[in-house]
Amino acid sequence: MLAQAAVPRDVGLFEFLFGSKYWTGADGILASLSDTVVLCATVVAVATAIAVPLGAGLAHLRRGELSVTWIVTLSRAVPTFAIAGLLVPISLRRGWGFEPWPIFIALLLVAVPPIYLTSYTAVKEADANTVDAARAMGLAERNVLFRVELALATSVILAGVRVAAVQVVATEPIRAFLGGDGLGRFVRDGLGQNNDNLLLGGAILVASLAALTGGLFGVIQRVALPTGVRRLFHRQP
Amino acid sequence: MADIAIRLTDVSKRFSGTATDAVAGLSLEIPSGSIVALIGPSGCGKTTTLRMINRLIEPTSGRIEINNNDVLSVPVTDLRRGIGYVIQQVGLFPHRTVAQNIAMVPKVLGWEKARIADRVAELIELVGLDASLTNRYPDELSGGQQQRVGVARALAADPPVLLMDEPFGAVDPIVRCRLQDQLLALQQKVHKTIVLVTHDIDEALKVADRVALFNLGATVEQFSTPDELLRAPRSEFVERFVGEDRGMKRLALKSVSQLPFDQGTVVDARCAVPDAISVLDNAGADWLGVTSGGQFVGWLHRDDLIPGAELGAGPLRRPAAQVTPSSTLRNALELIMTSATAGAVIVDNDRFGGVVTVEAIRKCLSSEDQ
Amino acid sequence: MTVFGEAALLGEATNPIIRWEWVIDEWDQIQAALIEHIELTFLAVLVGLIVSAVLVAFALRFRSATAPINGLTAFLYTIPSVALFGLLVPLFGLSRPTAVLPLSAYTLLILVTNTTAGFDAVPEPVREAADGLGLTATQRLFKAELPLALPYIITGLRIAVVSTVGLVTVAAIIGQGGLGSLILTGLRRTFWTPMTIGAALSVFLALALDGLILLLGKLITPWSARRRTP
Repeated sequence: MLAQAAVPRDVGLFEFLFGSKYWTGADGILASLSDTVVLCATVVAVATAIAVPLGAGLAHLRRGELSVTWIVTLSRAVPTFAIAGLLVPISLRRGWGFEPWPIFIALLLVAVPPIYLTSYTAVKEADANTVDAARAMGLAERNVLFRVELALATSVILAGVRVAAVQVVATEPIRAFLGGDGLGRFVRDGLGQNNDNLLLGGAILVASLAALTGGLFGVIQRVALPTGVRRLFHRQP
Repeated sequence: MADIAIRLTDVSKRFSGTATDAVAGLSLEIPSGSIVALIGPSGCGKTTTLRMINRLIEPTSGRIEINNNDVLSVPVTDLRRGIGYVIQQVGLFPHRTVAQNIAMVPKVLGWEKARIADRVAELIELVGLDASLTNRYPDELSGGQQQRVGVARALAADPPVLLMDEPFGAVDPIVRCRLQDQLLALQQKVHKTIVLVTHDIDEALKVADRVALFNLGATVEQFSTPDELLRAPRSEFVERFVGEDRGMKRLALKSVSQLPFDQGTVVDARCAVPDAISVLDNAGADWLGVTSGGQFVGWLHRDDLIPGAELGAGPLRRPAAQVTPSSTLRNALELIMTSATAGAVIVDNDRFGGVVTVEAIRKCLSSEDQ
Repeated sequence: MTVFGEAALLGEATNPIIRWEWVIDEWDQIQAALIEHIELTFLAVLVGLIVSAVLVAFALRFRSATAPINGLTAFLYTIPSVALFGLLVPLFGLSRPTAVLPLSAYTLLILVTNTTAGFDAVPEPVREAADGLGLTATQRLFKAELPLALPYIITGLRIAVVSTVGLVTVAAIIGQGGLGSLILTGLRRTFWTPMTIGAALSVFLALALDGLILLLGKLITPWSARRRTP
């Protein structure tokens, strides 16, 4: 837990955002930023590692039809802040401290549903088409189609990962209110100190990161899809 | 002479972004109380014309009058409430019962509940639906039933004009035939001015009092009765459109009762055999028909005539070719072609009503040609 | 120096998951939090419904406005809640509007998307028949289009309500959190009971409201339920 941002009240908003003074240092913006990014990246990675095999596997085995609707309903009803808050005492009791487990698990619950859903749907659709085509054509054709379907499925799954990543980054700031740090701490400190500039600066930083994450994954999506498949994708009605 | 219910004067419609008029200077007069079919190839503008009458499409120029009132002179919603409109996919409100669908316009017009209920029951019967369907929802009905409800709904406020856009196109041929018959029966009772757009020439010929055959741009190639369209097509376009078997189609429009009475080679049972034989000789025929007490009893071949015996004593062939006065000439011809006796017997309420021969049919058709 | 005290006294005896005496003692506080939560949810969704209705009406009338409206609502949705609350504090202070405005903004994407889908689902022949019968645009809307769009609108409403309940807990950071404030209280005092109660009640509230709206939906659209039967 870092010390409260040592930002005097008379520092203007722009100075805060663009002055290098506040970016560097152990309690500067960069440090908090990397803190946030590390956590979010880890959450998304773990969520992907869990949800993709789970979703793809179940779809391939033709099971778990109901799980999809259940996950959709439950994930909407779960208030992340509440869950994270609930996990703090448990974590403390086990001697694990305020961080990182409560927020990590709570964010994991945010990230898993979209990735699971898209993995499941992607494989389910791809499988059906491939099996149909395999029946209609010979085995060699099936291999070709398998690669195409896989590429398409990857694109769909990536879309799910993108949604998850953006939601995780957007939700992560609550961590600062649960005894943690990350970019959200500037908002927390701004509220605590009644420092409007700090508050606004923190809010802008948080929002910008969310937007950037969305944009970054958009680029990844476009790059990851082979040109030929992308054209095929776009030609489909 | 009937008045003109709908008059289109030099009506044109050009849709924005297109090079030609969908409807180019159309002038048409639709007599009151008649069914007029608008027919033509795809894209000829028949549907556009129809929809300009109730202003679902606004004309680019020209004048449309209904009962001598310019359609532009009244608020469009009032206009439409005075015109019935039936479309191919029906468009019944799925969340309303049959009765509620039919009651739509009367309710909007503010009729009292009792009057609406009576009217709904009346219409359900008029379109040939079973009263048990009154409170069902549209998706519980078959396609044909749905379209009947559509017609009932259109007629609910008793509008003088009914517009129909390919109303029977979405049902199978058997149901279509029944619906067409129902429409004709309905018209006998309600005498509306009906404008019907169809792409089916047989439907137009069957149902309409007058047919307007459109070419592109709603150019009127011919506007006349079905029979005249078939008998005297004005151009090659019309000829091609109505098809090669114009003669046969005309036969379907005429009934047996239009033929002059022909006794044919039919005699009473009390006739003496030598007289009967001379009837056959005069006609150059081989089959003798026998009546008894005014009823037709059967046919006898010349070879079966036994001099000295009574007619009807021997075995008689029952006639296979029998028609009623209301049968079409086409039916009659069909039967004659497939029977041995070269003539169809007209049975009118069990009584012998004459004979129909191929020659008589041919004479009937050709006598009207100049 | 830390904001929250170091986790010191966490003996199981004095800090169980739920200490029922506390629940009974502080029942008023819990009730107040619950009511505040419901009020905030209700207000936010109501504002969201009104604004989305206007937006959808606009988009239906002017087709070209559909894309910008969708873009706007999607954009609002991606702004992190903490950021949006934070941005509005300097303007409105720690008060209701600061909470309700962002909460409503988050419902817009869901409500606009679902409402638009509902209107798009109205079959074209029904619209044409309505016009042909001579219904005015308003009559057509209320007699034909709205009833048929209603199932979709209700689905959107359910999703909006449930997600708003979750977001209201976050609004605790600006003091308008309903059940979320219980969670924060528990956090500050490292006292488990209010956290459990707050968290459990917010999940329960979300599910209860979801079920309630589902039920209400079925009541006012009897025809769509019937249609499911083969």
